[in-house]
Amino acid sequence: MQPGPPPSPALQGIRYLIAVASGKGGVGKSTVAANLALALQMHGQRVGLMDADIYGPSIPMMMGLGHVDPHIASFPVEKYGLKLMSLGFLPDAGKGVLLRGPMVAKWVATFLTQINWGELDYLIIDLPPGTGDAQLTLCQTAPLTGAVIVTTPQDVSLIDAVKALNMFRQLRTPVLGVIENMSYFVGDDGKRYEIFRHGGGKKLAAETGVDFLGEIPIDPRVAESGDTGEPIVRRHTDSPVSQAYLSIAGAVMHAAAKAGSPGLPEVQL
Amino acid sequence: MPAGSELKPLSLRREGDGLAIDWSDGVHTFVAWRTLRKQCPCASCNEARQKPTDPFKVLSEKEVTAGAPEPVRMVPRGHYAYQIVWTDGHDTGIFTLEQLRQLSEIK
Repeated sequence: MQPGPPPSPALQGIRYLIAVASGKGGVGKSTVAANLALALQMHGQRVGLMDADIYGPSIPMMMGLGHVDPHIASFPVEKYGLKLMSLGFLPDAGKGVLLRGPMVAKWVATFLTQINWGELDYLIIDLPPGTGDAQLTLCQTAPLTGAVIVTTPQDVSLIDAVKALNMFRQLRTPVLGVIENMSYFVGDDGKRYEIFRHGGGKKLAAETGVDFLGEIPIDPRVAESGDTGEPIVRRHTDSPVSQAYLSIAGAVMHAAAKAGSPGLPEVQL
Repeated sequence: MPAGSELKPLSLRREGDGLAIDWSDGVHTFVAWRTLRKQCPCASCNEARQKPTDPFKVLSEKEVTAGAPEPVRMVPRGHYAYQIVWTDGHDTGIFTLEQLRQLSEIK
């Protein structure tokens, strides 16, 4: 593994850098990242969203954007007041991305060092699943404020969430807390159904000594909003899901302010 | 253990032919550049260390004239490590804080 480039001036105008991670794929990490970014913006923050899922970039679709011409477009792209960057903006990305690990690391480093993010309160970074090149490059290149771990309630997701959490700890990156996605479903009959079980996220947070940031219920409108390019927090702001995101955004702001530790000191040579 | 309560360097500076570090637990340490270079944790140096020494190895002119290894830059990497760029261009070694502490001697 090659070390990444030096810490970037492109990140100097950003107050808090927050990674959204999970060990396991399919827990709704990109959906959480997109809605969390918008919920932070609704709290009056200036927010950017970086799609570090190089193999499966989904932020452009969730934000109602397609490919752009890289020769004339300026990055980051702006939509709904968010600054956005994703490999999915580039036309060739639609052909499928066959990349070795070092290339993934290169793209992540490029997003962190070559994109003019400007002045932001928060840069939310949507990571791919796992504990590999993208995660390592991010933790080497950016002075992360912390990571948010997304999990679904069942054990098979929690096992991998623990791995992600331990990876961040190994790299001395603070873990701001755990979000439980797809927590429960409230039917038309008003009854609550815990489809994937319930409470795993809270248990994980307690067992690992980090904050539990909140739980997000299942709502078919989450998928519908993502597919039509306007995340649920913006499209159905009064829904229970959106209210959960707004509450979680408040918890993330609190945790980020608490975690805000300075980076490592420079060496006087 | 939360990251905030872990051992951290408070300051790092060149002192003679090595690196002096003041740590958050009040300990002051020193490690020679030569030691750091010899224990470089990158994959190629790790592999080289595992091979038996070649008694017939002929040093290149560059190796002969390079003299003792010196760092050109030492760059923080996230919250957990420093990368050293050496005078001969070698730059793939990332030293975790634990490694720096382990390789150093208490003053």
